[in-house]
Amino acid sequence: MTEDEFSKLLDLHGSVPDSWPSTQQEPARRLLELSAEARDLQQLHQRLETRLDRLQVPAFEGLEARVLNQALPPRSPGFVDRLLAWLVPAEGIGPQLWRPAVAACLPLVFGVVLGNYFSFGIVPDSSDVDFWEDELAMVALVDVSDSEF
Amino acid sequence: MQAVCRGDQSAYQALVREHLKSISHYAYRLLGNQKDTEDITQEVFLKLWVNAEKWQPQKAKLSTWLHRIAHNLCVDYLRKHGNTQIRDDLDNDNNDSQQSSATTAGQQDFEDGSEARAQEQRFRRALAQLPESQRSALMLCHYSGFSNKEAAAIMNVSVKALESAMARAKRTLRKIVNEDNSEEQTDQSAWQESLS
Repeated sequence: MTEDEFSKLLDLHGSVPDSWPSTQQEPARRLLELSAEARDLQQLHQRLETRLDRLQVPAFEGLEARVLNQALPPRSPGFVDRLLAWLVPAEGIGPQLWRPAVAACLPLVFGVVLGNYFSFGIVPDSSDVDFWEDELAMVALVDVSDSEF
Repeated sequence: MQAVCRGDQSAYQALVREHLKSISHYAYRLLGNQKDTEDITQEVFLKLWVNAEKWQPQKAKLSTWLHRIAHNLCVDYLRKHGNTQIRDDLDNDNNDSQQSSATTAGQQDFEDGSEARAQEQRFRRALAQLPESQRSALMLCHYSGFSNKEAAAIMNVSVKALESAMARAKRTLRKIVNEDNSEEQTDQSAWQESLS
């Protein structure tokens, strides 16, 4: 490790060896043993960190009470939350069991309605009139082989 | 947090108690004055209450998310007001320290104390004059204990940009510390000479 690399390491990770990336700890320690400049640089960083630690922050008396006592706007839950709350009420599902039951039946009803209104490309291969004549002949159990058409 | 989403105020109060100190300290270190720090801290927790369901635990820790809200509010504040307020507070500190130092009993103590205070003022001033991005990077990594990656996420910059900002900040402050140190050494050698 060069001194420039060591300087960068101190800038990015501080002067405490335990906070350095594990891959760089050993080369940095070796450089510290060999180079007086590296040791000076580490000391300078330690002094900088001590100066930073010495800077005080005021106690902020009463801030906690101020934050806790501020008027909070009522929360407006989203559509999904409201739907879930209606389907599965927090006070118990017992008397409201019909709600999830209705929700579960909805896809079935939807399928029946869809099937009733749309044929999805299935077209009878005979006309309506022929179809009804065949039906009537079958219902009457009449032998139609000799019939004259 | 799920309880806060459901509107549970006691859960909200527990979160306030847990994170108030770190958020207010971070805001103070960025803004440098007490009144605006309190206003911004209050707003951070109001935003927590209103936007609780927007927090995504798989993306960020709650403390990271709260610091990001605080960071954005502080940056907005600084862009609106500049560093004027910080300088005002520093000037007040300076006057206070001069007044208090005048009452110090011994002349030697007075000189030592005033020198140390002057150094601290110089350091504070240098810190306050750092660009906002450099100051934020330093505060998040040094005081709040975030990793470089988390700090970059809070500041919404790349890890490289954060590391560059932090290196610049430390370089500037190192110069101040180095100058103070060489001054101290000069004073000490002059004192030893006068004794001999």
